[in-house]
Amino acid sequence: MSRLYPDYDVLSKRWTESWNETTRQVIDRRLGVPREPRFFSSTEWRTLNAVCDRIMPQPKDRPPVPLAAYVDQKITDRLLDGYRYAQLPPQGEAWQRGLAALEQSANDAHGCSFHDLPPEWQDMLLRRMQHGELVGDAWGGMPCKLFFDHRVIPDITHAYYAHPTSWNEIGFGGPASPRGYVRMGLDRRDPWEAAEARPEQDIQRTERKKDRVG
Amino acid sequence: MSRDVNAVALSGVALLGLVALAVKPKYVSGRASPRRARLLVSGRTIDPSAAVRSARRMNRAAGVLATAVLADSAVEHYRGSFHNKAMVAPLVTAALSLAVSAHGNADKRPIRHRVRDGVYSTAALTGLVGTCFHIFNISKKPGGFSWQNLFYSAPIGAPAALILSGAVGFLAERVRDTTPGRAPTIGGISAGRAVAAATSVGLLGTVAEAGLLHFRGAYHDPFMYLPVTIPPIAAAFIGNAALGRTDRPRPMTRFLLRLTAFLGFAGAGFHVLGVARNMGGWWNWSQNLLSGPPIPAPPSFTGMALAGVAALDLMKDHPDV
Repeated sequence: MSRLYPDYDVLSKRWTESWNETTRQVIDRRLGVPREPRFFSSTEWRTLNAVCDRIMPQPKDRPPVPLAAYVDQKITDRLLDGYRYAQLPPQGEAWQRGLAALEQSANDAHGCSFHDLPPEWQDMLLRRMQHGELVGDAWGGMPCKLFFDHRVIPDITHAYYAHPTSWNEIGFGGPASPRGYVRMGLDRRDPWEAAEARPEQDIQRTERKKDRVG
Repeated sequence: MSRDVNAVALSGVALLGLVALAVKPKYVSGRASPRRARLLVSGRTIDPSAAVRSARRMNRAAGVLATAVLADSAVEHYRGSFHNKAMVAPLVTAALSLAVSAHGNADKRPIRHRVRDGVYSTAALTGLVGTCFHIFNISKKPGGFSWQNLFYSAPIGAPAALILSGAVGFLAERVRDTTPGRAPTIGGISAGRAVAAATSVGLLGTVAEAGLLHFRGAYHDPFMYLPVTIPPIAAAFIGNAALGRTDRPRPMTRFLLRLTAFLGFAGAGFHVLGVARNMGGWWNWSQNLLSGPPIPAPPSFTGMALAGVAALDLMKDHPDV
């Protein structure tokens, strides 16, 4: 885990001026996302989890951000992007088709399920998807490169950075609601923002700054 | 966290100080006794304590301005994280200016006080350097003197209020240092005219600052037009008084100046509401006090208006034409 913001915990803002009731509810819903699939079948769910593990590998020393659960939630709750590539079907269908096609390719190439493949082989298949090299009936005419670029990558990375765990890694304060930012200049920092640890700086200074977060 | 609390405590103390300072002059300026008026009209004698009384009025005006600068620079420079060490300077000089103003208000001797005079001069000088520094800051930003930079960089007009506090105090010392029985002069001209002229210019500068920032705020509240309508008229009237005859009562000028003084307080009140209207309101004070409208800024109008009232009284006490 990144030590750029040592001991910074965005959740400690919960009862400060930084967050209001609406923000607390939003964060609670996000942390309480169901860990079981509501949209995907169990096969799709296993494939999706395996894809998430390769696109956004996570350290083992902390609870993982439930990436697959957020992808499932986005589809279940009909959280749409507001636009869609004409060659891609609606997001739920695109994911179903893409995951099925990936599973098909794994079976064709290696004779086993995608989620049972060693990571290197999974990466190889994903890389072929990225380069538009996967073929098969399961794609139903959907370009695999477009699916990779505009479904796989955005949905999984956006899910990752929607979670307090990743906010702690990047020193983000969560929703600016109500308290936002005052000191906008380069390298300026509000007292309630996370303090970045800089090796060249006195450790004590970071410690002191850290105490004021919240 | 403790710095946040300090900033708020400082603003609170400053507001209390403003109230205390502003309530007083009202009965002082209103006590032109018929006896004194008669003496003046007869032209034979001058109330020997008149100059000191006027000087003390000006001390109070300088004190109100210093309080506004102290609170405003404390909040804004805290917001700027005291990035430059020189950003402490206005806090120190404005605090000193406030202290010597209180001292001058209590002092009834008709002689100049060297420490007060020195502090006022230093304050004015600090304000001047600060103004230059703020202008330099804008000039070196990308875009130079663009609207964007004028709106969002360090404001040019803010340090100018410290010049005004120092200048009013500086003039007060010269008014005070008048031989009893003689009319106070500054640089050879009637002190009343000098202070009136300074007030007119100072008011217009304050109006320019309020006009710029209220324009930035798109005049979203109709009351935001008040500081760009009433004080300019008051500035015109007191400017006219500085150049015109001094043996006239000028009730309209006096009324406009008092209205301007009142506006300074009302403005602070409106700004308190403005902070409340930001997201999170006063619960989110640690952001909104800094990003909302500056509460200590409007009382600068009160300080300038009080100086104008003192100028009118000076001219009434010592008519030269």
